Amino acid sequence: MQVARVSSAMVAFLCLAYGLSASQSPPSPKFDPAAVARGEQLLKAECGFCHGGNARGGSGGPDLTRSAIVQEDENGKQLGAFLRVGRDDKGMPKFEFTEPQISDLATFLHSAIYLAANRSLYKILDILVGDPKAGEAFFNGAGQCRSCHSPDGDLKDVGAKYDPVTLQGRLLMPRTGGPPGTPAYRYPNAVKVTITLPSGESVTGALVRLTDFEVTLYEAAASGQMRSWLRNGDVPKVVVTDPLQAHMDMLKKWTDADMHNMTAYLASLK
Amino acid sequence: MRINNAVARGFANLGVIGVVSVTVLGQGQMLDPALLTKPPIDAWPTYHGDYSGRRYSTLKQIDTSNVKTLTLAWVYRLNASRANAILGGEGPDTPPAGIGNPTVKSTPLMVSGVMYVSAPDHVWALDARTGRELWHFAWKTRGGDHIGNRGVGMYGHWLYFLTPDNFFVSLDAATGKERWHHEVASMKREYFATNAPIIIGRRVIIGVSGDALDVPGYLEARDPDTGALVWRWNTTPRPGEPGAETWPNEDAMVHGGGMPWLPGTYDPELNLYYFGTGNPQPVLTGQSRAGDNLYTCSIVALNPDTGKMVWHYQVTPHDTHDWDAAQTPVLFDGVIDGKPRKLIAQANRNGHFFVLDRVNGQHLVTRPFIDSLNWTQDINAKGQPIGNPAKEASVAGTLVSPNTGGATNWPPPSFNPDTGLLYVGTSQTFSLYYLTDTDPRPQGWAAAERNLANLGSALKAIDYKTGQVRWSRPLAVGPTGSTGGAMGLLSTAGGLLFGNDGGGNFVAYDAATGKPLWHAGLGTNTNNGPQTFMLDGRQFVVVGAGDAVYAFALQQ
Repeated sequence: MQVARVSSAMVAFLCLAYGLSASQSPPSPKFDPAAVARGEQLLKAECGFCHGGNARGGSGGPDLTRSAIVQEDENGKQLGAFLRVGRDDKGMPKFEFTEPQISDLATFLHSAIYLAANRSLYKILDILVGDPKAGEAFFNGAGQCRSCHSPDGDLKDVGAKYDPVTLQGRLLMPRTGGPPGTPAYRYPNAVKVTITLPSGESVTGALVRLTDFEVTLYEAAASGQMRSWLRNGDVPKVVVTDPLQAHMDMLKKWTDADMHNMTAYLASLK
Repeated sequence: MRINNAVARGFANLGVIGVVSVTVLGQGQMLDPALLTKPPIDAWPTYHGDYSGRRYSTLKQIDTSNVKTLTLAWVYRLNASRANAILGGEGPDTPPAGIGNPTVKSTPLMVSGVMYVSAPDHVWALDARTGRELWHFAWKTRGGDHIGNRGVGMYGHWLYFLTPDNFFVSLDAATGKERWHHEVASMKREYFATNAPIIIGRRVIIGVSGDALDVPGYLEARDPDTGALVWRWNTTPRPGEPGAETWPNEDAMVHGGGMPWLPGTYDPELNLYYFGTGNPQPVLTGQSRAGDNLYTCSIVALNPDTGKMVWHYQVTPHDTHDWDAAQTPVLFDGVIDGKPRKLIAQANRNGHFFVLDRVNGQHLVTRPFIDSLNWTQDINAKGQPIGNPAKEASVAGTLVSPNTGGATNWPPPSFNPDTGLLYVGTSQTFSLYYLTDTDPRPQGWAAAERNLANLGSALKAIDYKTGQVRWSRPLAVGPTGSTGGAMGLLSTAGGLLFGNDGGGNFVAYDAATGKPLWHAGLGTNTNNGPQTFMLDGRQFVVVGAGDAVYAFALQQ
């Protein structure tokens, strides 16, 4: 629900754009992969008929990853005690598992719960469902992409440069640029601002901040420094331009189908 | 009979009023049940200042003509050190890794010249005249999500607050010493707690939080003396209960989420407590929970004595975008279609503004308050926006506005009865929603989000009668476009609206026009609801930004 998560999602997005993993979560528990695999096999063999092969419920048995008993369990302790007794009234027989088996089963279930609960670990699936030909037609036609971009110029081999998810993100909003930690006002396509002082002097740079009370820009070429002015109504004169205005305007126009087709087309440029 | 009931409720409300009476009342005003819908002027005794959630003060020492001379009175920077703190809690001596520095997302209370500020694991008592620390209580946490704490509640001499590791704690307000604590939810099931307790009579109302796993939400009333459970209201039905027909099966409804993240509002005359419930679980996909999913994403009216629901109105049937309805439901009286009414209004995270009759939940107004919305198919006869199934998360990605953060969020709005306007901070974000869990029984969030851009944040003033935006003030712009959005707000009889500008300034706006009249460059956006009170004849305006609390008053 929370606003703070928006910015962490943005961090995740920026990190992803550079092929890094987002690291806003506390240290993650370590699950022994061999124990997880053994637990999964045991679950499929002994519990799967009722609780499903992935423990999310099956023919009559509840979802174990949502079970309070499992979620509250500590390393198989409570789970083991439960399994030894069963729950006759609900049709749950008792099981004579060995201690190592209970430990494996608990490790598998806790690992599955951990993967569900930590969305920074979610893996985006294969998103290349679009039609590259339709994407190319959109590029040359309705999308008006041709007016700024070319498959032989700035987009040459773009499909080799980015994975599909990054590509689709940058297709819609290619704002990021530079190595991790680069301040946004140094992005090549940061919002630009031109200040005109009462003297007639004019200064152009990347916009750092524009409020009702001040304007600050980063003058990359001329001084390599930030400059700021307090604002008093229309003085100094401030004109903001966004090099990505066409992309901003497109956000309201995209259909998901056009977007998927364009992603497929760009992914084919390699 | 009616009067007797009102008198009885006046006594029942003694918990809050008794505290205020030390400095404000004392002459029998506690018998006036309307008192709690009028903001007290020399105290801020509950999360919203009063029960109405309007965050409107009748104070006008500071007004549009003199606000230019508003100046800093004091600053308090949160001191999270456990050294010299009164310690409580069951966690280790060294805090678990991953817990950042605390920020002020709470609305502090101010009673009898003492301010009570909270952040996750911490409560500080400050001298409200000087901002100096009187005592500091630090909770040794076991963990839990430390995203925010909305505030403390007060009854008589006692304070109440919730911790990220799900303890309901009571302190002696005079000394900061702990009275007792009770565990109210399971940390292992990814519950945590952010809510500010609201005290109604002898009910301390608290709610649980959490959306990482598919666990059920609930609201509780607890006893102010012992902390014992009085009633619990589940935000989703159990099999056979009304509302169960809006879920496909028992598993879906008892794991259906609906967290009551935020404190609600209260009408003493109707004796109804109003609050918004959270989104259904799994968060970003509905494939395992066909139906409307009551009572998630709903405004709910409960009898606070019994915990029984009186009415509900669902603002987002079958939500699949994390747009909970926890935003403050604001209470005021007004005239709609020529008829005087007791109203309740909410500017919802889904981008729509709602007005209902708070006696019975009858729908009156629905209107979008941002332009970029692209997820709705229709607004039905009951005024509910109905989602377009094509705008749910998909494997290849779905472009949706707004993002999961919504058109607005938890920071409290303000309603000004002088202007008839509800003020709210808004943004017009776009995100890609990727379905990552295609199992027929998905878990948790079940989808990933990639934020793209914001077509424009603005502070907006909404006419409650029509839902039309009367004025809109664009917020700051940075190198990636518009910044800021949801913000805590306060309006006053001095014609002022206090909020931020999305660019690190705390601003006093003209409440009628949105013109900025005064600002203070705090360097970071305010992140709580501003408050005001009179102390020693001086009106203070207090706000939190980052890890500091700032108090302003007119130059003397």
